[in-house]
Amino acid sequence: MTAPAARTSAPDRVARLLAVIPWIAAQEGPTLDEVCARFGISRRKLEEDLAVLTLVGVPPYTPDTLIEVTIEGDRVWLRFAEVFAKALHLTPEQGLALVAAGTASQGLPGGDSHGPLATALAKLAEVLGVEPGEAVSVALGETRPDVLDALRRAVGEARRVRLDYYAYGRDERSTRDVDPVAVFAHEGSWYVRGWCHQAGGHRLFRVDRVVEVTPLDHTFDAAALARATDAGGVFAAGPEDPRITLDVAPSARWVVDTYPVEDVRTSEDGRLRVRLAVTATPWLERLLLRLGPDARVVEADDPSHREAGRRAAGRILDRYGGA
Amino acid sequence: MSAAKLERLLNLTALLLETPRPLSAQEIRERLGAYPDELEAFRRSFERDKDDLRAMGVPLEVHEVPGSIPVVEGYRIPKDRYYLRDPGLTPEELAALRMAASVVQLEGLSARDGLLKLGGLVGEADGGLGLAVGALPAGNVGPLFGAIAAHTPVRFTYRGEARTVDPYRLDFQRGRWYLSGFDHKRQDERVFRLDRFESAIEAQAGPRFERRPARGAPGVQLEPWQIGEAAPVEARVLVDAPQAPWIVHHLGPASVVEERPDGSVVVTMTVTARDNFRSFVLTFLDHAEVLEPADLREEIIGWLKAQVVA
Repeated sequence: MTAPAARTSAPDRVARLLAVIPWIAAQEGPTLDEVCARFGISRRKLEEDLAVLTLVGVPPYTPDTLIEVTIEGDRVWLRFAEVFAKALHLTPEQGLALVAAGTASQGLPGGDSHGPLATALAKLAEVLGVEPGEAVSVALGETRPDVLDALRRAVGEARRVRLDYYAYGRDERSTRDVDPVAVFAHEGSWYVRGWCHQAGGHRLFRVDRVVEVTPLDHTFDAAALARATDAGGVFAAGPEDPRITLDVAPSARWVVDTYPVEDVRTSEDGRLRVRLAVTATPWLERLLLRLGPDARVVEADDPSHREAGRRAAGRILDRYGGA
Repeated sequence: MSAAKLERLLNLTALLLETPRPLSAQEIRERLGAYPDELEAFRRSFERDKDDLRAMGVPLEVHEVPGSIPVVEGYRIPKDRYYLRDPGLTPEELAALRMAASVVQLEGLSARDGLLKLGGLVGEADGGLGLAVGALPAGNVGPLFGAIAAHTPVRFTYRGEARTVDPYRLDFQRGRWYLSGFDHKRQDERVFRLDRFESAIEAQAGPRFERRPARGAPGVQLEPWQIGEAAPVEARVLVDAPQAPWIVHHLGPASVVEERPDGSVVVTMTVTARDNFRSFVLTFLDHAEVLEPADLREEIIGWLKAQVVA
């Protein structure tokens, strides 16, 4: 028994056929299998669609104005399909999806700035009526290409690496030996996920905070590690991390969209009660410094967190000459 | 979907592409002979067909039927708007685009449908780059890209104000989309964050705008402190040695005005959004210090003092 085929909506099926027709018509009798592979369609669906085509044409719907479908053996020919001799234009969304993907890929390690991707993008820009490379830019995340490339290779070879790493949240620089499992871009930053031997656990590292990567002579069992690191989201606070509750002014509502808040309550006057996990004190200091008068600590599991913003402000003021 | 409906939509498209003048609903009904006899059922079915064609991006135009009294609306599909100008992609180019689209996707936007129109799926679906990229948010980018290509202004509400903008460029940076364009009211180029739009985007009809020379280059990092409407100020910031490599890489070597013997650096930044500048400098905690200009330095000191006494 086969699974029921996903239901194709009317516009989807028509749109696909409007792309299939000009392609077949321009070829010298391609095989049905080739058409299926190129257009991601099953053999049965293709045959159904071709049967419908014999009833399609333009007035007066005489035999020479209806599309003629010829199937001989495994090959197919279309005639009298001039009205559909060209595909339907690309919608802005379709054009953008291709241009954005192509532009972003060019920036990846081993990216193609002169080869077929570059020439494809130039041709596409011309057809869409935009300046090549002018209308859209995509930065997947700031990183040094050599660092990203070294990490990508290490993942591919299941090779341990030594990272010179600046831990932003803790505001400290350290050396870590890591078995890297995956490199990925998420919301504007690149990350590497892997087993950190210093921490004795799975850790996530921001690639732009990696100062240097040194491949080591040791390889690891990638499959076993990947299974074990299949952990949820990008930012996972531990259950043991202390929590803090802030009272936040309505104007600073962006906190909810920007930080991994665990709970939000809005009071009648529009102020927010926001609960967050504190994974490191410098992280909390930055948040409080940024919010300034827009936030107040209401509750803190760790009493020292109540004064975190004030202490940090005092430390920075010292630097400004205790002004 | 039934074969009958597929056949009808294809024949409707062909009829409206071939017709030399707009056809009324009644004429379409008679020529196709594919709609229900009952008038109300025909109307419903014809409305759905029009919606389906528009959903596919078919440029279905409505014009008066010439000479009709009383005036009757007619339909046609202009060939020049329907037909894709074939860019003539080689199999290698199609494969490169497919590979790119397999690595980078936009939420809810299909690169596959575009590839089919350009000649189909060629090559391998999986790039095997050893890198994964989460789908990029899409939101309003589709209509804006359409307006950029058409060189037509758009209207939207931003910071509580209705704006009319000639859209120039979309930039995806730090996980967000930005639009650069010429703000009609301000008579200057501005950058807008798409997730801060307070209304839908309205495409404006009218003549194509002439693009004025763009200020920023595409892909050049738009920094938070540059996305503001204040008069630009050159700020100098001292950053301690441990953070120095990061800031130098982040801003580019051209931003460094002084390298001190202890490894710290002084960098220069052009600030048009003072709040964002302050937030950025404070992320260094006590490892950075604003040196100049004096008023910006005083602003930071004032902000910190308010927190100490709070």
